[in-house]
Amino acid sequence: MGHDTAEWVMVGVVIAILLYVGVDSWVVQKEVEDVPADAETIKVTGQQWFWSFEHQDGTKEISTLHVKKGHAYNFEIYGKDVMHSFNIPDYVVFEDVVPGHVNHAWFAPDQAGEFPIQCREYCGLLHYNMRGSLVVEDTP
Amino acid sequence: MKRIIVVSLFALIVLALVPQIHFAHAQSSQGQSEKQYINLRAEVWNEFFRMTTAAFTVGAVVSGTMIWLVWRFRESHPKNKIPTRWEKLDDPTTGTYEKEGGH
Repeated sequence: MGHDTAEWVMVGVVIAILLYVGVDSWVVQKEVEDVPADAETIKVTGQQWFWSFEHQDGTKEISTLHVKKGHAYNFEIYGKDVMHSFNIPDYVVFEDVVPGHVNHAWFAPDQAGEFPIQCREYCGLLHYNMRGSLVVEDTP
Repeated sequence: MKRIIVVSLFALIVLALVPQIHFAHAQSSQGQSEKQYINLRAEVWNEFFRMTTAAFTVGAVVSGTMIWLVWRFRESHPKNKIPTRWEKLDDPTTGTYEKEGGH
């Protein structure tokens, strides 16, 4: 064993692990951000201090969003006044709402039930009350 | 030592390939059924645990190497009994590795 073998092993192993970290993160990010082709688009608008939703067929809802279990949904997220953040904790949907900019997030609910929607960016006096409900219906 | 290096590299290659095989399998099964979507929560947590494993492995390799270096090149190590060529010279920068004693 040469005097520098240990150093080279350390350098090689660390480079290999960092390469693995980079490649794996890239693959997972690509996988997570890849919106399914059959996802239904829902327009989400955040404003002080409530959420409104518009389905692809024109149906509008305020504060409560109804979706179907096993379907994919692509959120187009709009802001009307100040910064908000659209968050459905149970389905890892978490996207900033920026006035003048459209953000995107997608999800596919796999469990029926009622889940909280909340604003996760302090947006004024009633920020704490800027909540909504996600109702996932178990339809065939 | 060579065996350790080979085993380490083999383990790393396996570590890198396992998630890719899982991903390829998930992709192929997705093609069979249109209603199969990835579970974002599971993917994100899996990635977090894999990254944690990688981070701890890097930490173990780096700190392990440093601990080994300190242990191996301490003054009281049996292999360091014979002073190196530099320790005998007035000017230590004139020594060479080839003529170094104790290694």
